[in-house]
Amino acid sequence: MRGKKTGLVFFPAFDWAISPTHPEREERLLYTRDQIFEEGVLDLPQIKEYAPRLATVHDVARTHFCVPRVQSQVTEAHLIAAGSALLLADAVVSGEIKNGFALVRPPGHHAMRVVHGNRGFCNINNEAILVEYLRRHHGIRRIAIVDSDVHHGDGTQDIFYHDPDVLFISFHQDGRTIYPGTGFPHELGGPGAYARTINIPLPPGLGDETFHYVVDNLILPILRDFQPEFIINSAGQDNHYTDPLGSMRFTAWGYAEFTSKLKPHLAVLEGGYAIETALPYVNLAILLALAGLDYSRVREPDWPGAVKENPDRVSRVKRMVDQLLRVWEERDNIDIEKIFGRGPFYERQKKIFYDTDYIEEEQLERVRRCPSCPGYITVDSQGVRGYSYSTRVFCVSVPFQACGACQAEAYDAYERAKGLDVYQYVYLQDKSTDTFFSFERDKKREWVSEGPKVGE
Amino acid sequence: MHIGIDVGGTFTDAVLMDKGLVKAVAKIPTSRDLLTSLLQALDAVMQGVGGEQVERVVFSTTLITNMIAEKKYDPVGLILIPGPGLDIGLFRFPGEVRVVQGAIDYRGREIIPLNMEEVDRVADDLAARGYRKVAVVGKFSCRNYLHEKKVAERIQRRFPEWKLELGHQVAGQLNFPRRVVSTYLTCATREKYRFFVQSVQEAIGQRGIRGKIFILKADGGTLPLEGSQEVPMETIFSGPAASTLGVQALLPPGETAVVVDIGGTTTDLALILSGQPLLASKGAKVDDMFTHVRALAVKSVPVGGDSVVERVGRDIILYSERLGPPYCLGGPMPTPTDALRVLGLTKLGDPERARQAMNLLGAPLGLSPEGVAERIIRQVVETVVEEIENMFSSWEQEPAYRVWEVLQKKKVRPGTVVGVGGGAPGFISQIAARLGCSPVIPPYAPVANAIGAAVARPTIQITLRADTEQGYYTVNEEGFQGQLDDPAFNEEKALNLAKRWLAWRANRYGLENSVQEVELLRKEVFNMVRDWVTVGRLIDITIQTPRGILYHVGGGRERGVEE
Repeated sequence: MRGKKTGLVFFPAFDWAISPTHPEREERLLYTRDQIFEEGVLDLPQIKEYAPRLATVHDVARTHFCVPRVQSQVTEAHLIAAGSALLLADAVVSGEIKNGFALVRPPGHHAMRVVHGNRGFCNINNEAILVEYLRRHHGIRRIAIVDSDVHHGDGTQDIFYHDPDVLFISFHQDGRTIYPGTGFPHELGGPGAYARTINIPLPPGLGDETFHYVVDNLILPILRDFQPEFIINSAGQDNHYTDPLGSMRFTAWGYAEFTSKLKPHLAVLEGGYAIETALPYVNLAILLALAGLDYSRVREPDWPGAVKENPDRVSRVKRMVDQLLRVWEERDNIDIEKIFGRGPFYERQKKIFYDTDYIEEEQLERVRRCPSCPGYITVDSQGVRGYSYSTRVFCVSVPFQACGACQAEAYDAYERAKGLDVYQYVYLQDKSTDTFFSFERDKKREWVSEGPKVGE
Repeated sequence: MHIGIDVGGTFTDAVLMDKGLVKAVAKIPTSRDLLTSLLQALDAVMQGVGGEQVERVVFSTTLITNMIAEKKYDPVGLILIPGPGLDIGLFRFPGEVRVVQGAIDYRGREIIPLNMEEVDRVADDLAARGYRKVAVVGKFSCRNYLHEKKVAERIQRRFPEWKLELGHQVAGQLNFPRRVVSTYLTCATREKYRFFVQSVQEAIGQRGIRGKIFILKADGGTLPLEGSQEVPMETIFSGPAASTLGVQALLPPGETAVVVDIGGTTTDLALILSGQPLLASKGAKVDDMFTHVRALAVKSVPVGGDSVVERVGRDIILYSERLGPPYCLGGPMPTPTDALRVLGLTKLGDPERARQAMNLLGAPLGLSPEGVAERIIRQVVETVVEEIENMFSSWEQEPAYRVWEVLQKKKVRPGTVVGVGGGAPGFISQIAARLGCSPVIPPYAPVANAIGAAVARPTIQITLRADTEQGYYTVNEEGFQGQLDDPAFNEEKALNLAKRWLAWRANRYGLENSVQEVELLRKEVFNMVRDWVTVGRLIDITIQTPRGILYHVGGGRERGVEE
């Protein structure tokens, strides 16, 4: 690791916005650019800046079921943001850089497996696309994602809820006080991936001290146990004390210190909307921390000094940390059937609201409880836009570790659904062979995507 | 008539041009005294031409380059106002550094005030150490010069004889460490440069030349000699710019080409993309430090006709050093030039000594002189080709910050490889063959650099940044900061304001004729939204007079011109 550089893709998408006054607009990374350029960071020998690249439509289809198709959910800006993460991961795996920072927008951690539209400013999940890419192209199996955004990374959680080889840890402001209203300690993963999802909801108003208590006493010990081959940080910055959407009191220093403890292979920017008071400083501090440089002098102009934390809330967090650590330690001794019941499938009903696009989605997710693999997943999903317009689709996902029996069953499920008139679109995503099928009822046509051939 | 003079490290080249035709050329060895070389070259091409016929003289100079390389300048003290952020210890700054309290943010707002007693202490300290030249540079001073000005005023009052240089006047772009280095070097070289300019003006005046005198810049533009005193640093690295512009003038318009200038110890590579020389995206590196000096994207490869070649075991190795002239010209060691001589690709030097040189290398390996020579040439060609490929890929790898920039990136490959410089004839066809291009050695290739100087156009640029919420704007190049009174200030008005500044700046340099056309180089407009309401706009506009050359050189060769 020593002597190697930190890779940076800085893609502020200065010509892309959700709408002119939306928080996710052109101006968001403008002051971050000013700060990073003025500091001269990019001239340092420890940092290497890369030009962004586009992810392919297939990279997206390997991870998401976009309704009706990938092209209708993503713009070039999304493909560039996702592609930048892939590019840096390639450079990390090849040993060209020791770690990387995809300082890109638009963000992605609220995008779930099925995508009917934009929710929480996200269409596609940059980190999830990266995970599937790492597995397909670099054979990396065990991956940890630590989400440090103030909002629960519900999209990432949804995608890896049944994957025992992806550890997803999210700390965020308590879901009862902020979007998307999820991410409670009892959300721990499905029957095949119990305790591979860890949520730490934090009471509003807490600062760096509690933040680091959680990091030191829960996140780092779990990571040491899990021994991931690759660590991704969903680097949202809206826990900052000046953020207009969040109510936490973290500082740029707190974020940088966290980064240097976590040592992620790749940090991917998520939220953070204090575009003047937080982002220039937090982004700079994170970049310095990744590069192993001194970040102690990076300080917000209105830095308030140490935050006085509410002792009740702090002790609540400490109790939760103890409980979660026990859950983690007991994860393999627990009686799974007692929690999840028995039977060949585990089912959950979900209602998902797309706040940006005003879509209500109802899902029935079923996962095959297979003794020899994580099992294939089916999702029966109906997205309702307004009163008149709804789309019902059926999605089948075969995990990359799938056994032959599950793969065969999954293809049967796909074929069966194609014959049912209720589904406008039926999809099959086979991660074990990197193949994607989509079937359109009205046209009676099927599309197959096998991804790029070797050498493309 | 136009005269172009390029003062190089070894030779000074000059041409006299008349309406696109080369009327006279000269090549003389560069002497220690740059002025002497310059005037000798000038006199050589002016034989039989009256001074009153010369409308324009453009020359390049290595004065600043040499001064910096040999560290022949006065010591400079640095007073920095970095504020919070990066540890400035991460950067290697020259000179004696003193840090004072104070900070400005990215929108030019004061976030930490100055402490004037501290400023006084620091100034006393520098005075006690004998400093008389001081550079004052603040972080984000390009967004607000308040601190730099206050510090300078305070110091100047107490030490009126000090020569001060302020960061915002030297470099208006973002990047504080580069601004520090650029300001330091400007402070260090300005006085000597002024003396040089005066000597040149006198000498040219004595020859009865009434035309305008220009100096070539690293970005391939020119500045009137008089005005160049403001920006001595911009005269560095003008040699490669000269030969690239020369090639541009000698090629048909619109070509994409690689310029390969093979000299004695280095080979300079430059790119011409669709007829325009490629500018480096970042400022040049000077004496191993990054600066804000805009320059053409030129890559110097440490291999040339005089590079030393040695046998190590069974390998024949090409070194980057030069230990004298080639063996065939009486030098001590075999060189690529000897290889060219053996293969009949040059007429330089003694063929017998060249064969001896090849035998020195090849005999122990049982290789014929021709075999050794071919191997050496192949190595030179490989090295150069590899660097050309790298140049293209790093150009493609340049960061992009907008969706359209990413989408429009495409692979561009050159159609031609153009050789200039002494070593070009021997190597260029092989380099072109390896790249699948056509080789071109234009007429007048040996003096392409001087032609480049002769045809270079004056360039002026204005970068205007307006912050309508705070109601002020800055003009980077002028170090100006002013109020915006118009509540309806917008993009169009900003562009008009920038154009007025460009005209004003042109006037100041005596270049009023060159602002008829204006190119928009960059435009950024950001709505500032606070609490879902647009509270103002940030408008950033860069305009310039067109870059490029005055004319292409006609194909016809004049009678009686020596080559």
